Amino acid sequence: MSEHAAAPFRDSLAGLLTEQPALGASFDLLWRQAERAVPAGARASWIGACRDIAQAGLGTACLIAYLRQAPGCASLLGVGPAIALANAAIRIGAVAGSGAALALMAASAKAARLLGSAEAFLDWLGAIERIATLAPDVPTVLLDHTETVLGHLGVRGLETWATSGIRAAGADAEKRRRFFALIDPSARSWLGRGVEDLHFNAVERRMQAYLAALWDCHPTLRAASGSALDLPRRTSFDGALIFVPETYRGVGGERAVALFRAALAHIAAHMRFTRARFPLGTLKPLQVAIVSALEDARVERLAIAEFPGLRPLWLQFHSAAPLGAVTAPGLIARLSRALLDETCHDGHVWVEKGRSLFAERAPGDHDAASIRRIGSLLGNDLGQMRVQFNPRAYVVEPLYRDDNRGIWDFGDASGSPESAPMQEAVRIEAEERGDGHAETSTAEPEPEAGRARALAAVEQEAGVEVARYPEWDYFISRERPDWATVLEYEPPLGRADLVPQIYVRHRGVVDRLSALIRAAKVSRPERLRRQPEGDRLDLEACIAAAVGRRHGEAPDPRVYITIARRGRDLTTLLLLDISQSTADRMHGVGATVLDLEREATALLAHAMEGLGDPFAIRAFCSNGRDEVRYYRVKDFDLPFGSRAQRHLAGLVPGFSTRLGIAIRHAGHELAARRSHRKLLLVVTDGEPSDIDIADRRYLVEDARKAVLGLAHAGIDTFCVGLDAGGDSYLARMFGRRNVLQMDRIERLPERLPTLYLKLTA
Amino acid sequence: MNVRSRAFRTRRLPLTAEPRPPAPRTRGAGGLFDLTGHTHAGRAQDSLAMDLSGYLIEQEPYYRPVGDEIALFEAAYAARMPMMLKGPTGCGKTRFVEYMAWRLRRPLITVACHEDMTASDLVGRFLLDANGTVWHDGPLTLAVRAGAICYLDEIVEARQDTTVVIHPLTDDRRVLPLEKRGEIIPAHPDFELVISYNPGYQSVLKDLKESTKQRFGAIEFTYPAASVEAEIVAHEAGIDRTEAERLVAIAERSRRLRGHGLDEGASTRTLIYAGRLIARGVGLEAACQVALVLPITDDPDIRDALTAAVAASVPG
Ligand SMILES: Nc1ncnc2c1ncn2[C@@H]1O[C@H](COP(=O)(O)OP(=O)(O)OP(=O)(O)O)[C@@H](O)[C@H]1O
Ligand SMILES: [Mg+2]
Repeated sequence: MSEHAAAPFRDSLAGLLTEQPALGASFDLLWRQAERAVPAGARASWIGACRDIAQAGLGTACLIAYLRQAPGCASLLGVGPAIALANAAIRIGAVAGSGAALALMAASAKAARLLGSAEAFLDWLGAIERIATLAPDVPTVLLDHTETVLGHLGVRGLETWATSGIRAAGADAEKRRRFFALIDPSARSWLGRGVEDLHFNAVERRMQAYLAALWDCHPTLRAASGSALDLPRRTSFDGALIFVPETYRGVGGERAVALFRAALAHIAAHMRFTRARFPLGTLKPLQVAIVSALEDARVERLAIAEFPGLRPLWLQFHSAAPLGAVTAPGLIARLSRALLDETCHDGHVWVEKGRSLFAERAPGDHDAASIRRIGSLLGNDLGQMRVQFNPRAYVVEPLYRDDNRGIWDFGDASGSPESAPMQEAVRIEAEERGDGHAETSTAEPEPEAGRARALAAVEQEAGVEVARYPEWDYFISRERPDWATVLEYEPPLGRADLVPQIYVRHRGVVDRLSALIRAAKVSRPERLRRQPEGDRLDLEACIAAAVGRRHGEAPDPRVYITIARRGRDLTTLLLLDISQSTADRMHGVGATVLDLEREATALLAHAMEGLGDPFAIRAFCSNGRDEVRYYRVKDFDLPFGSRAQRHLAGLVPGFSTRLGIAIRHAGHELAARRSHRKLLLVVTDGEPSDIDIADRRYLVEDARKAVLGLAHAGIDTFCVGLDAGGDSYLARMFGRRNVLQMDRIERLPERLPTLYLKLTA
Repeated sequence: MNVRSRAFRTRRLPLTAEPRPPAPRTRGAGGLFDLTGHTHAGRAQDSLAMDLSGYLIEQEPYYRPVGDEIALFEAAYAARMPMMLKGPTGCGKTRFVEYMAWRLRRPLITVACHEDMTASDLVGRFLLDANGTVWHDGPLTLAVRAGAICYLDEIVEARQDTTVVIHPLTDDRRVLPLEKRGEIIPAHPDFELVISYNPGYQSVLKDLKESTKQRFGAIEFTYPAASVEAEIVAHEAGIDRTEAERLVAIAERSRRLRGHGLDEGASTRTLIYAGRLIARGVGLEAACQVALVLPITDDPDIRDALTAAVAASVPG
C-alpha cells in the first residue's frame, strides 16, 4: 500500500476526530509525527492498526491516545511493538473496558522507555493482558503506577507481584484497589523487597492441600514477616502452628514453590514422627544442633520410606560440600546431606562417623535416647576438634529445615542462648495476633463494659417456659420423658450499626452473593410440560394428543413446553450455638467465635432475603436440663430488619450446649411451617455439653436421636462445625454427609451463605 | 472381560434382543390384567417384552467381595426386599449388581437416571404406527412383567415426581400401575428393584424423599480396604500388585482432600484407568495425571497439591 491508499484513510480519521474540537488543529501534527516514526514499508500495517482501534468501539479518546503514544513507541522499539500495542489495547479493552485500554496507551511510552527492548515490551503487554483477564478492574489502577512498579520489579516481577496481589485480595475489590494503587503497605513492602521472591500467601492454599493429601495433616499456617533486618529465615513450628517465612529471600519461581513444599513436608514429618519434644537437659548448644540434625534425618528417612519422592524434593536443597574452611555449621550441614543421600561420599572422618553411628539402626528403630546418645558423642568429638561454633549466629542448613524450636523442650531456661530464638518465636506469634486484632478490631467494637452490661441484661430478663422435651438416654436405651425445659427469650437489643457494618466490611462477599443469588434465581429454569401455550412442542403431549384422537377422544390441547423459573418452596431455621465457648477469641484473628457466627448469619440472612426464602434465626445455650435457653433473633414472617439485626447484635455468649433439646425445639417450630422442604441449619463450635452431664457420649447420642426425629418429620438437618477436631462426634450426630467442617473458622462468614446456596441448588 | 448389561439411556427401547438359548428360570404367573380383568395375553408386544434373554449376564463378571454384601443381597433378594446401594462414585456398585444378577440368574435392566427423565421413560408410553397406536413398555415395566432385576442408577438425579412411580412397587403391594393404560401390573415374583445412591451428593432439594428412602434396605459401599482395592486394580488393569498398591496409596492421599478442596477423591474406577495406562507403558506420574488428577479437579491449587503428592509417592 502506498501514500495513495493512506490519504483517504487519513481523511476519514480526521473526519472522525473533528468531533473533538480540541484536537482538530493538532491532528495534522500528530499524523505527520506518526508518518515520520513509521517507515514507509510498515505504513500499511500501521494504518491497519489505527483502523482497528477506531473500529473497536473503544471511543475516540482511545484512538487519539494511540495516535499520540504509538509513534514514540515505534521510534524507540520499532513498528512491531507499536502495532502489538494496538492489538493488546483492543483485547484489554474488550475484557476490562475502554478505560483500561486508555490507561495502557498512556503507560506505553513510559514502559517502552523503561524496558528498552521490543521483547520486554511485548512481555509487558502480555502480562498486562493476563492480569486484565484475571482481574479486569486491576489494569486501570496498576497502569497508573507503571514507572514505580516496572522500575522496581521488571516485567517478570510485575506479573508475580500482581498475581500475588490479586490472590491476596481474594474477592475484595476494595482491597485489590488499595493494593494496586500502592496504598496497601504490603504492596509497597513487596515492591521494596523485589518480588522475584515468591510470597508464601500465593501458595498457602496448595500447601495446605498438599499436607492434607500426604498425611491428613491440617496445621495452621502463618506467614511470618519481619523488618528487612530480621526477616525470619527458617520455618518454625509449635504444636500444630507453623510459621513460614513470608518469602525466602532471593528464591523465586518454581524453586520457591519447591522450597515451601520441602519446608512444610519436613515439618509434617516432624509432626508425624517426632513423638515428644527432647528435654534440653544438660546438652550444650553444639550438641543441640547436632541432635536436631540427627532427628531431622531420622524423620526424613521415615517419611521417605512412605513417600520416596520426597528424597529428591529435599535433596535438591542440600548443597554442603567438602570445600573451604572446616566449621561446625559446615560439618553439620555435610552430615545432614550424608544422612539423606547414601550415594554422597563426604570423606570427612567426623561426617563418616556420624553416618555409621546413625546406620547402626534402621531409622525406625532409633528413639529419642539413641539419637541423643549419638548426638552427644558427635558433639564431644567436634568439641575436641576445636572447630568454631557460635550458637547465636547458627542458622540451620539447608534452607528448608525448620529452626528446631518445635522439637525441643526448653523448660524455663530463659537465660540460655537457645531461648533467644524461642523468644523470637513468641514475638512473631504476638505480632501475628496483634496484626489480626488490628484488622478485625472493627468487628469487635463493643467495649468490655458494654458486654458486661448486656450480660447483666440477659440475667435479668426472664425467659418464658414454652416446652418440655424428652431426652434420649443411650445408656438405658430409653427416652426420659419431659426431661428438659426450653425457655424462650427475646435477645437483648444490641447496637443498631453492627450488622450494617458487617455488610460494609464484607462488601466483596455481599457483591458476590448478590451475583450468585441472581444466578440462582434465573439459572433455575424448569421445563414445564403440557402447557396450553409455549415456545416449543411437547413431543410426548403431541403423541398423546394424536393417540387420543385415534381413540376417538377429544385431544388434549396442552401440547407445549414453556421454560419457567422454579418456585423455591423451602423454609430454613438457622440455629446458632452461643454457649460460653463461643466467647473464645480466634487465634490470630482477634474476633470471637460468636462474632464470626454473627457475621456469617448477617451474610446468610442477606442471601436468604435475596432469594425470598422464608427463614428464622434462633440461638441457644443451656444451663442444665431445666434451663435450655432459646433466643428468637428473627421470626419467619418478619423481615431481617433493624430490630432483628439489633437482636443479632445483642447476642452474648454464655452457659453450655444442650444441642439435642434445641434441635427438637427448632424442629417443632419448623414442623408447623407449610413448606415442601424444611431445613434446619445448625452452627456449633464444639461437642455438646452441659453442667449436669458428665458422660460425653450422652448428649451426642441424644442429639443424634433428635436429628433422626426431625428426619422422620421430613426436616433436613445440616450442621456447620467450627471445631476442627469435631469430625467424629459431628458425623455421629448429623450423619457424615450432613456436616460441613470448617477447617478455617475465619472463613465462616463467607462459607455459610455459599453453603446454603449449594445445599439448596 | 466382557460383561453384558444394557442401559437405557435414550427414549427408544432396544427391541433387538440378541437371540440366546433360553436361560433356566422360574416363570411366575406374570399375567397381565387391566382394571376390568381382561387379560392381554395375546399381544405381540407383550410376548416380546417377556423375552429378556438379551439381558441375561452369561459370563461371570469379576467381582471381589469386600464384606458380606453378597450374602446380604442374597437374603434381601430372597425376601424380595428392594435394595439401595449407597456409596461414592466408581466404588463397584454397578459391578456388584451385574455380579448378583449373574449369580441369581436374573436378567438385569439398568436405567441411568437423569434430570429430564419422566415417569413414562420408566413405565412406557403409547406410540403411533401405521395402524394406530401401540403401547411400548418402559424398562421398569419390562422388568416388572418378566421378573428381572431393575437397577435405577443414580436415582437422585431423577425428579421426585418420577421417583414416586416406584412407591407402589416397593411396599407390600408390589404392583406397578400403568395409569395411561388403566392397568395394574402385579410384579413378577422374581422381580427385584435396586437403586444406587451417592450420599456425597449435597443438595437438600435433590435428595431422596424420606418416604422413598425408607422403602429400601441398604448396603453401604465404600472404597475397599487398601489390599483388596489393590487386588481389584491389579486384576482389572492387568498390572502387578506393587504397581497397583502404589496407585491405591495415591488414591488414599487424594481421598484425604475430600472436604478440603475436593468433592470426591479418586475412585477405584479412576485407579483402574490409571492402571490401564500403566499397562500400556505410560509412566506412573503421567498416568496419574491423566486419570486421576486432571479429571477430578479444576482448582489449580488442589491440582498442584495432588500432582505434588503423586510426585512424593513415586520412587525417586
Ligand atoms: N469389588 C469390586 N470387584 C471388582 N471390581 C470392582 C470392585 N469395585 C470396583 N470395581 C471396579 O471399579 C469399576 C467401577 O465400578 P462401578 O462402575 O461398579 O462403580 P459404581 O459404584 O457403579 O460407580 P457410579 O456410582 O459412578 O456408577 C468397575 O468397572 C470395576 O472394574
Ligand atoms: Mg527439623
